[in-house]
Amino acid sequence: MSLKNLLRAVLGNYLFKRALRAFGIIVAASTITFFIIRLMPSNPIEIFINQMMSAYGMSYEDAKAMALALFTIDLDKPLHEQYFEYVTNIIRGNLGTSISISPGTPVMNVVTAFLPWTLFSVSISLFSSFLLGITLGMIAAYRRGGIFDRVVSTVAAVTSAIPGYLLGILIVVFIGVRFGLINYMRGAYSAGLTPGFNLPFIVDVFLHLAAPFTTYVLSTWGGWMLSMKANTVAVLGEDYVTVARAKGLPEGRIRTQYVGRNAMLPLFTSLAISLGFIFGGSTLIENVFVYRGVGRLLWSSINARDYTVMQAVFLIITISVVVSNFLADLIYSLIDPRVRVGG
Amino acid sequence: MGARFGKKYKWVIIASAILVIWSLLLPLAYSQQEERKPLFVGAWPYLLPPEGHFNTFVTGALTFGIYHQVIQEPLALYLWHNDTYVPCLATSWEITGDYFVVNLRRGVTFHDGTPFTARDVAGTWLIHYILNHPLYSLGFVDRVEIVEDYTVRFRIKRPSPILVRYILREPVRPYSTYKEFVDKAMDFMNQGLSPTSDPVKQLAADFRNFRPEQYIGTGPFMWTGEITEAEVWFKFYENYWNKDRVKFKWLKLVNGETPQVTPHVLAKEVDYATHGFPPATEQQFKELGIRIIRPPIYSGPAIQFNMKIWPLSEVWFRKAIAYAINTTENGWVSLSESGRPVRHATGLPIELADIWLTSETKQKLEVFEYNPDKASQMLRENGFTKGADGFWRYPNGTVVEFELIFPAEFADWSAAAANAAAQLTKFGIKVTPRAITFTQHPIEVWEGRFQLAIQSWGGGANPHPYFHFYQAFMYWNEKEAGVGQGRPGISFPLIQSTKCCGTVNIRELVAGVAEGFDMERVKRGTNTLALVFNELLPCVILWQRYGNNPALDGIRVTGWPPDGDPIFKNPPYGDAFTVFMLLTGYGIRPTPQNMPAAETPPAEQPAQPGLDLTMIIVAVVVVAIIIAALLFVKRGKKS
Repeated sequence: MSLKNLLRAVLGNYLFKRALRAFGIIVAASTITFFIIRLMPSNPIEIFINQMMSAYGMSYEDAKAMALALFTIDLDKPLHEQYFEYVTNIIRGNLGTSISISPGTPVMNVVTAFLPWTLFSVSISLFSSFLLGITLGMIAAYRRGGIFDRVVSTVAAVTSAIPGYLLGILIVVFIGVRFGLINYMRGAYSAGLTPGFNLPFIVDVFLHLAAPFTTYVLSTWGGWMLSMKANTVAVLGEDYVTVARAKGLPEGRIRTQYVGRNAMLPLFTSLAISLGFIFGGSTLIENVFVYRGVGRLLWSSINARDYTVMQAVFLIITISVVVSNFLADLIYSLIDPRVRVGG
Repeated sequence: MGARFGKKYKWVIIASAILVIWSLLLPLAYSQQEERKPLFVGAWPYLLPPEGHFNTFVTGALTFGIYHQVIQEPLALYLWHNDTYVPCLATSWEITGDYFVVNLRRGVTFHDGTPFTARDVAGTWLIHYILNHPLYSLGFVDRVEIVEDYTVRFRIKRPSPILVRYILREPVRPYSTYKEFVDKAMDFMNQGLSPTSDPVKQLAADFRNFRPEQYIGTGPFMWTGEITEAEVWFKFYENYWNKDRVKFKWLKLVNGETPQVTPHVLAKEVDYATHGFPPATEQQFKELGIRIIRPPIYSGPAIQFNMKIWPLSEVWFRKAIAYAINTTENGWVSLSESGRPVRHATGLPIELADIWLTSETKQKLEVFEYNPDKASQMLRENGFTKGADGFWRYPNGTVVEFELIFPAEFADWSAAAANAAAQLTKFGIKVTPRAITFTQHPIEVWEGRFQLAIQSWGGGANPHPYFHFYQAFMYWNEKEAGVGQGRPGISFPLIQSTKCCGTVNIRELVAGVAEGFDMERVKRGTNTLALVFNELLPCVILWQRYGNNPALDGIRVTGWPPDGDPIFKNPPYGDAFTVFMLLTGYGIRPTPQNMPAAETPPAEQPAQPGLDLTMIIVAVVVVAIIIAALLFVKRGKKS
């Protein structure tokens, strides 16, 4: 094979094209994020200077000099220079040090202190919500028009219309406060327990997860359920389902192999995107329950204008969303070869 | 039939099993908690490591606000109602010649067992020397010296009661934690270097990155390492020097700002909180029988003017604004009973004005009570006219309108801004409120990028008038005060001609108030500055903030003193009355149900991992349920 043909084969390759596109999206998204962050009013150096002036009576020049000495970021530099520095550091695997929320601490250390908790809580909640949604959606579709369908569809519509943080507050007030369970609705585990693989700690962690889990599932399962129901209803009307029934295939097989699998396909992309967002945590829910997670970290870094932490969190979210989409594309192309044609 | 039944109810059985497991786990988790009594539960926002740290001299430290002083004690406590210091780590103090000499308590130890000596007090102030604490930067003191193990002295350069307060109220940190920096600082001080010299500044920069591994003090409560996003625990230090006076053995602090702490208060899981609760929440507390304590905070919101803009630079215009706003309504809307109007606009909080101002001065003060007619008259006298649309116009015919910026996150100040804007618009001065995030808001004011701004007046938890006048005339006025470089702030001129006092140099007058121990002289200066403030009105005071602190009585804690008790002249923050009570045993005490069983001393170790009997029983029950459910389903299928 000539080089030209080889190049053509590589460039025309579905996988390569997808990977290239994913990389391009990451670069574009992180660039846009970089500039948007700097367009926000105020900056961490200004905030730090004011803190130093008010707390220690420093002069403006002294406080500014200290800020420049302390932080690896110089916000007086032209934006393109700052951007070039940012990109160079990322290539070297250096996300910098926190500017304001934990001055001097490497951003990776800050993020890794929060990320495991977010991955744990949001992934469990997401998968539970997804499973609950598609199961009930399918049942509702099979029993469409019946009491089950009407009740479940109404509840799904109502719960998915209520914002998660509001549900969280309601849970805190009506369950936590009323039933004296408030201490299990704050934080990721109780003070005094030794974190590790031991039963009391694990039990405690799951108990603390209950409220954010319930909030997350309640606020998201409706979307999955209603989509699954609509898809199932559509699939049930397809000819191949009728043919399968006419062939006398067992109902269970039709339900899972013919209806369920095909009805779930369109939800697959949404699930992939949601999987990517797992890394960003659930900012509002984590704040309501004071749950240790990336969402809370992002919240505090935005308030403190901690550019490096914000950049790192947004970069992680971008990469994870793009990568999970890329993987979804790959898996989708295996499930449904049509998407590769002309893809 | 059985198969159908099994299939039909399979999910119900599984769901029930999950519920049963869950309900069994809950008491299990409760059972893991040891008895920790007598317990006091407070609330304060903090950041977990790596954000929070133990270098309690620098920002971001885990000081736990007012509760810092129950971990790292000061030399003395202070009572506002009688202007008295109560000895704590110091036993006595005096001014001898050029020195302020402090004699220290013997027999006190830090939580790690090391004895407390003069080295720790000197070390604390050597660290402050490198950080250029106001004690040094304002020129009160230039040296700290160890006289002997239990005596330390400070060389006075500028005599003032302020230096006494700074020294006596500062929490003492252990030399052992900071010795590397203390020793270097001592060298620099001995060399006569100023805190602004390059070597000292470099040491300070290094120090700000210093992260100690331990957090110890001499206070009654010691760090346990039990900290989560939700709460932090402290236990009683058994060798505490004043152990007989302390009535609680455990201290728990709930983490969070107002929204996070509110449900804990509602659930009666917090004994006392200092957060600023909205009036509606306060009402809920009252309905639940939770008492609200309203101590003075000695500050509040005011309208600051950008005096580079005409007519905001005119005294008559600012006075017209003062007359056009009903501050009683503004305070009530913002913070109900805790937002109280200030009758005498002098820059001094109500309680301090009562102490420091003479009746003669009070008689001379103009009282800015709500009087829109008077405000209208003042505007008309200066050529302003009111249009048919109800809005005031400049003499050239353009409509008078301003933007009022306020910190978005402060609920009470936001309400004050919205109400003030509405009142002024109703009066005919079009005012548009604009929210700015609280970290950015002061920068906008200092940079002069505003027209009207809601910002603080009053020096807070500082009993000396100096701090209040500094806040009133200088703090938002950096260029004139010489603190900032080229940042205009409110641009209020500090040399002015007045009717009351002739030509005054306000900077010198404010500095003069802090000079010397002659209280009559301080009082004269204070009265002059009060008159100057009242005449020139650099800001319009909206109201003075009082706490609306929920104090739960009867669950874990009882004995909160009645409202009129003089202890409540202490503010909730700076010289916190609750901390005074915790340290001295005044007032509050545990309820009988908050006492440990007579024969069972409180456990001190956190719950240890491992299987106990409860766990085994629960596990057996859970497995039995699951097996039963599976057998049930299987039998159904067979039949």
